Amino acid sequence: MSTDPHRPHRDSPSSEGLTSVDEDWTQLRTLLLSPEQTQLDELRERLDNRGVQPREISRVLPEAFAMRGETDQHLSNVLTPYVENGFVAAVRKSPRAIVDAIAPIMGPAIRQAIARALQSMTQSFNRSLDESLSLRGLHWRLEAWRTGRPFAEVVLLHTLRYRVEQAFFIHRETGLLLHHVAAEGAVVQDQHVLSGMLTAIQNYVRDSFGASQDQTLDQFQVGDWTVWIEQGSEAYLAGVIRGTPPATLREDFRDALDRIHAEHADALTHFDGDPAPFKTTQTYLESCLHAHYESPPRPSALKLWILGGAGILLLSWWGATAYQIHARWSNLLAELGAEPGIVVTMAKSTLRGYRLEGLRDPLAKDPSAMVIEAGLEPSGIKAVWSPYYSLDPQLVETRAQSMLQPPRTVKLDLEGDTLVATGSAPIDWARETKRLAPLIPGIAHYRDEGLVTAPIPDLLERVNRTVVHFRSGSSAVEPSERAVLGVVSAALRELDQAASQSGQRVVLEILGSTDETGPVIRNIRLSKERAEAVRSVLEGQELGGGTTMTTDILRSSKIPGSQGGSGARIAIVRASLTATSRGNETTPP
Amino acid sequence: MMQKKVCMLGGFAVGKTSLVRRFMTNVFSDHYQTTIGVTVEKKSVSVDNRDVMLMLWDLYGEDELQRVRESYLRGSSGYILVMDGTRKATVDTAIALQQTVVRTIGTVPFVSIINKSDRRADWEIDEGAIEQLRERGWTVLFGSAKLGQGVEELFALLATQMVSAPVLPRE
Repeated sequence: MSTDPHRPHRDSPSSEGLTSVDEDWTQLRTLLLSPEQTQLDELRERLDNRGVQPREISRVLPEAFAMRGETDQHLSNVLTPYVENGFVAAVRKSPRAIVDAIAPIMGPAIRQAIARALQSMTQSFNRSLDESLSLRGLHWRLEAWRTGRPFAEVVLLHTLRYRVEQAFFIHRETGLLLHHVAAEGAVVQDQHVLSGMLTAIQNYVRDSFGASQDQTLDQFQVGDWTVWIEQGSEAYLAGVIRGTPPATLREDFRDALDRIHAEHADALTHFDGDPAPFKTTQTYLESCLHAHYESPPRPSALKLWILGGAGILLLSWWGATAYQIHARWSNLLAELGAEPGIVVTMAKSTLRGYRLEGLRDPLAKDPSAMVIEAGLEPSGIKAVWSPYYSLDPQLVETRAQSMLQPPRTVKLDLEGDTLVATGSAPIDWARETKRLAPLIPGIAHYRDEGLVTAPIPDLLERVNRTVVHFRSGSSAVEPSERAVLGVVSAALRELDQAASQSGQRVVLEILGSTDETGPVIRNIRLSKERAEAVRSVLEGQELGGGTTMTTDILRSSKIPGSQGGSGARIAIVRASLTATSRGNETTPP
Repeated sequence: MMQKKVCMLGGFAVGKTSLVRRFMTNVFSDHYQTTIGVTVEKKSVSVDNRDVMLMLWDLYGEDELQRVRESYLRGSSGYILVMDGTRKATVDTAIALQQTVVRTIGTVPFVSIINKSDRRADWEIDEGAIEQLRERGWTVLFGSAKLGQGVEELFALLATQMVSAPVLPRE
């Protein structure tokens, strides 16, 4: 039998009456019990369907996770494999999404790491370069060689003012290492053991001095290293510093420690030995790795300009001097090459000066004098000259003059390889020269057909002692006197030849005079007529092309044998020699 | 990697350092060296396929003259009580030390070991005393640092207890 729970029992026999009552009852019950009826329906549905509803679980799941996570690690252990598998599957399925998700985090971290490495490398390289050429750098290079350490490391140690080489972030109570960073090149021992020992040392010191918990060991020093400890509420920061750090460094330590505590407060409070959550402290710890190096004193710009200017001036002066010396050297070589009797066989420039080698005729110009004339320092040139005979015509002629020692009346000329002697000379000299001349280097033949061996002075004397006498009042040359003039003309012809061969000519002066009787004017005219008469006689004798004649009045004071006062009816002849080309008289009358 | 601080406790010359040395390097030296203060060592062990780094604080042996510093005990996840089987007094020292630890850091996992089992004939600690320790709830192992007996088991057992022990939030 089925019954409608919503319908009340009816006792009335009338169906219509009953229906009306039932409807009213139903309406009343609906009005009074509707909320409860709905709840009853829901409860019945739950009882009928006993499976767990996801909606209900979703309401309590976060709280359930949190409560179990606070109790133990079991939930984490259970979920870890599924999370790992899910992550691996997600990476395989959609790697792009993973890359996009972690790129904003990894990108800056990678860039920062690269920048830090490059900066460190550049800094080390620059410092090594700066010091590599200085005097101090050489000293350090020697030290590097002696100790077997890299040069860059020696430079670093000497120029280092301070450097934070390591930073430890250590859990205060357990002494366990939460994170650790080290500068490049720092010597790192076992950081976990060191963390434990650092904590033990602090405990020991604090206990030994009866210090309270807030009184801590702040720093200690070992050799070149100083360890600074900055305490936080849950953990402390220990920096291993080489050198002498500034006090402001502590503020940086403090700042980093505070930031880490703020960001990892929960992880620090619930620390159970797992340091994984503290990997993100890397940035803060790296910010503590300060380094400061001694900067070498930089010369001021003005000093640099002055030094640079002085250097340029010095260089210019040196260049100009070197160019000048080189030009003088070149000129000297050219002059030596053109100089007769000098042959340069080797000329070179060395660091210690110049070097010359060659041949030199003893009659050639002195090379040392030429060096001085060229403006060079003789001590700067080492010259070696070997003697030789030059066949240069100028030197051959000089050599002949030097060896033959000709008298002043002899002229020596070189025609090819023939030596030609002209003029007048003693017979002995002429004979000796004929024998010696061909033996002189550069002379193959000797000619002396133009050489007069009679002495010119003898000829001059023979001419100049001539006196032509005249009758009183007459200017006609007597026949006896013409014979005298014949002898004179013969001597004059010989004299003219000797003079012309020696480059001279004969000047003949004919002077006439009278006695003192008769008028003066008449006497003067007569004197001139007598001189002209002698001249005309001599002109008829063919004296030679090189002889010129002049006439004049002979003053009574110059008459030979006259004692002054009384005159003479004579004419005299005076011969002298004059150089043909130069016009200088070579032989006095 | 998970890290755990472990303290080595025990009386004077019971063999704490020898046990650590044997555990660390599998080496034993007959030459006795007293520990001054504390020496920290580390060693990784595997528990349920998870590596755990044990930071071993090898404390100096306690005797009448010097007491263990309580500050060294703080932060320990577990500790090892070492006794010398040939000296019965080291049991009392171990008991006193255990009480000190509980008083200082509370209840944390620990394992006790009676060392020098290679000289069993010279033992002063009898079965009765050992039974009393077990009645206190102690885990009592026997071993010899000299022979390397029981050393690995000692540290492995403590590591397992520490990893599975619930981490109580600190006050």
